[in-house]
Amino acid sequence: MKNRSLTALIALVALAFAIVPSAIASDLTDIGYLDQAQIGSMPEFVAANQRLAAYRAQLDGQFAAAMKAAKSDADRQNIEMQFQQRFSDKQKELVGPFFTRAQLAIAQVMAKKNLSVVVDKRIVVYGGVDITGDVQGLIKSGQAIAPPTATPPPSEIGFVDNTALDASPKIKQANDALAAFAQDQRKIFAAKMTQAKTDAQKQQVAADFNKTLGDKRDQLLKPLADQVKSVTAGVAQQKKLLLVVDRADIVFGGTDITKDVQNALGK
Amino acid sequence: MSKMRSVNSAGLLACLAAAVLLHGCGRVDVNSPQIRGIAYVRINDVVKHHPLYGQLSQINDAIAAIDLEAAGPNVPRSAAEIASQTKVLNAELVAAQERANKTIAAAQAQYGAREQQAIAAALAAAGISGGPQVGAQVNAQSAAQSRAAVQAASSDFLAYERSVVAQSNAASNAIVQQLQRQAEQKIRGRAMEYQQDETDLSLRLTQQDAASRLSIKTRLNNLALDAATNKRLRDQLAAMDASEAEQINALRQRDAKALSAYQQQVRAQTDAQIHAQIGKIQAQTQAQIAARRDQVGAQLRSAAPPSLPANIPPAVRAQIAAIHRQYGQQFAADAQKTVDTFNATKADLTNQFQALHGADVGATGVAAAELATLQKRHDQLTGQMADQLKTEAARLAKQRGFSVALVGVKAAPGGYDLTNDLIKDIESLHE
Repeated sequence: MKNRSLTALIALVALAFAIVPSAIASDLTDIGYLDQAQIGSMPEFVAANQRLAAYRAQLDGQFAAAMKAAKSDADRQNIEMQFQQRFSDKQKELVGPFFTRAQLAIAQVMAKKNLSVVVDKRIVVYGGVDITGDVQGLIKSGQAIAPPTATPPPSEIGFVDNTALDASPKIKQANDALAAFAQDQRKIFAAKMTQAKTDAQKQQVAADFNKTLGDKRDQLLKPLADQVKSVTAGVAQQKKLLLVVDRADIVFGGTDITKDVQNALGK
Repeated sequence: MSKMRSVNSAGLLACLAAAVLLHGCGRVDVNSPQIRGIAYVRINDVVKHHPLYGQLSQINDAIAAIDLEAAGPNVPRSAAEIASQTKVLNAELVAAQERANKTIAAAQAQYGAREQQAIAAALAAAGISGGPQVGAQVNAQSAAQSRAAVQAASSDFLAYERSVVAQSNAASNAIVQQLQRQAEQKIRGRAMEYQQDETDLSLRLTQQDAASRLSIKTRLNNLALDAATNKRLRDQLAAMDASEAEQINALRQRDAKALSAYQQQVRAQTDAQIHAQIGKIQAQTQAQIAARRDQVGAQLRSAAPPSLPANIPPAVRAQIAAIHRQYGQQFAADAQKTVDTFNATKADLTNQFQALHGADVGATGVAAAELATLQKRHDQLTGQMADQLKTEAARLAKQRGFSVALVGVKAAPGGYDLTNDLIKDIESLHE
């Protein structure tokens, strides 16, 4: 009897072993997401953007007139900088307060929900904590939003600034080479297109053009992309990160490893 | 007792074996320290396995085709732009011709007057009375120059006629090509709309049946299923496939019929437009040629025959002949300059005219509209595919017990790559 009970117990444990994971580790539950498009469509933000667009239109006219009157390239460059500064100042004035309030709201909701990172909704397929409603509520509440007392906890989700990585000399050189190649091929295939008589022939020329560009892209950029991916994964592993996303998809928090990746690539 | 123990041991081993078997049968330990409940999908790789990916590639090729056609050596212009620029060029040609005629006429009058004075002076010096009258008579010889000019004009008329006919033919060809291309674009656009409808239906039906299909497939994977149930389930699956295929085929047939009718309608409209446009061009050509013929005829009628007096002594006659040659040569040299200038202007205008009519009249406007439509369809299709893939990825992630699933991951030292599972899933849904 005792043996039978023991057998049953072992069997249960064994079945549990089959069902329950072999190594128990806590799931990552501190990932939040925000629907930035929804925040962007809030009336206050829309109104601020409309005012900014109106200012832009007015500025464009003045800019064109100033450029017309410019006498040298140096004048033009100076004018461009001045107008850029004026636009930037207006943007800060009109959109800045809303943006700051939104950032504070996100930080507060994050802290309240113990999140280490908030990403854009577009990259979340399943799970995660949706904080859009809470952030919207806080922005609308009218109450003053206090800045968080502490920075977000270190996140196991890292991010890299792809724009910065793309600006590296090697990648820029490869992109420039691809652009030059595309320009040359465009001329060659445009000439071929004039020889094509039927729709099927034209479609074939276009398909060949796309394939030629695709092959060249693979030849020039894929090795670099693979290298960046491998280096990024290596840095992420050293920093004990699980995943790395693009900076553009990060709303708040996360671990920035751009510099480390740049350094590793430069070695 | 020992038998009992051995039975229990056997049960224990069986249980352990079952457990190990269950554990090892491809299940992912989503909570392991390397994964921690997080999955990711390389959506760019999955999208290539989507049944609509071929259509997306076709759209990309069509966009490239339009782009390459626009990048061709010809400058695309609309029919209205061609007509307006042709009008400008024709006006410039007529103005150049009038300028040349006026210059030649003025030179002719000037040299004629100077020749007349020189002849009168020569006759007076020779003691011959009635010098001015004789001079006027001799000067009438310069009318021969006019006649020669009119003859040249006559031969120029033939060249003009040939050039106008060639230009008219070029314009007609350009218009025929333009209208035919527009017709083909319309038909291609409609065909793409139908294709889109068929794709939408296919996608809708697949999504609609996805849950039932999955449920049947899951049941079919159960080894313990009896033969009758297995057959019933397979029949259900086949019936589902047949029903989907039937609906899609019915739509395809309807679309093919409608497209054929549309093709006939568009082609009939195009033929009528071509007929009308060519008729107009031919009428304009005839009018231009007739106008030039009238002009040349008037010139011919106004040309006077040469007349020389008989009572002039040979030495004076020789002197007068020399004067006449001298002024004739000066006039001819002057007139040649004017004719050369006119011919250069005319050649330039002819080149512009030919370039204008040889240009691709596929019309930027039409191409741009088609490009915008294709871009819109491309975005819609990409959106549809991405939505379906995300929905499927979410279902898989939930089914496998993940807490979070992401796309757009740049590097992943941890987490679970759900890409291949999703590819299999997508392929099984559409097989």
